[in-house]
Amino acid sequence: MTTDRPRTGPSEDSLESSLARVLQAGTYVSIALIAVGSILLLAGGISPLAGGPAFQPGNLIADVLAARPAGFLWLGIVVMMATPSLRVIGALIGFWRRGERTMVGVAALVLAVVGAGVVIGLLTG
Amino acid sequence: MLAGGVAAGAFGSILGLGGGVLIVPLLTLVFGLPLREAVAISLVCVIVTSSASAGVYLQRRQANLRLGMILELFTAAGAIVGGAIAFLIDERLLAVLFAGLLVYVAATMLRGIRMPATASATDDETPPVPAGDAVAAAGPAEPATNLDYDRRRMPAAALGSVGAGIASALLGIGGGTIKVPLMHLVLGVPLRVATATSNLMIGITASASGIVYLVRGGIDAYVAGPTAIGVFVGASLGSRYGHRIGQRALRVLFVVVLLYTAIEMLRRSAVAA
Repeated sequence: MTTDRPRTGPSEDSLESSLARVLQAGTYVSIALIAVGSILLLAGGISPLAGGPAFQPGNLIADVLAARPAGFLWLGIVVMMATPSLRVIGALIGFWRRGERTMVGVAALVLAVVGAGVVIGLLTG
Repeated sequence: MLAGGVAAGAFGSILGLGGGVLIVPLLTLVFGLPLREAVAISLVCVIVTSSASAGVYLQRRQANLRLGMILELFTAAGAIVGGAIAFLIDERLLAVLFAGLLVYVAATMLRGIRMPATASATDDETPPVPAGDAVAAAGPAEPATNLDYDRRRMPAAALGSVGAGIASALLGIGGGTIKVPLMHLVLGVPLRVATATSNLMIGITASASGIVYLVRGGIDAYVAGPTAIGVFVGASLGSRYGHRIGQRALRVLFVVVLLYTAIEMLRRSAVAA
């Protein structure tokens, strides 16, 4: 599956280090956003079991700007869910630069499957 | 809820269990959440722990990036199927499946207690190690990407990966319980590399089904947020200080807790029927 010979692009070490940084940055950003949301939840005296508002992508920015807990919590969850896909996008770019066409195809298919999840969720929701 | 998340994260980290095995019972039995909602929140927590630890494994070059990406194509496909059918299955059946998982994990832990020198091939995803520790602990290691595996058995591994994805989406687990033995026993990947590679795959697997739950309104942000923070903090503490705690007694205690939890889930499922 990995018979393409890389000619240029990042070294294996550099590629994996870059992907590690993407994962770690995504984790810390999402945890920071969720922590802010949780603190706002606590400060507002809202019980986590009170039932949070539904996910409304259109309200995300407005909720964050208004310092509503749901805005930060949802944004953190979205960043968290997107982080593994960002790692795959990073890998796709890295493999492309290294000339590993088979792995570029694998990465593209992984992203297509994740995208299909969104479509299936919308269609069956 | 935060404290429960910290406890689940810390004990999961110390015992080498994935978050889902502990978070789902915590949310259903202690906080009274519906099982499907607990599964969705568990998937969010699994992504946190997986992303943090996969970053560390990649930095240490212990994960086989290419093998992981090929197999995660199949786990993600399975996870989407699982995420879709999770809304069609009766929660009582889900509870029975989860109880079965708990008994399996308890049996695996029991075997680990009897054979402490042998690493268990069924340990779930290893929890996160703080990035600073990772760099310090990295040391020289043979890059896992260069390791070969039995490519002729890839179709079997791909099929098993689809199953791991379905199980992950239905039960809110990372699926390392299936993926690690699959890579180790079927493809001949060294256990350590299989564990690291499984961790890498868990993020995409859990996010593929997590997106289905998110879009369908199956996630409660008010519960998911504090629980995820708790799990992250607990897993970080567990990986840092866990070695100071006696493993054997803790494992025996957890076997009892897991079996009790399995019985309780079955009992509630029977009462609901």
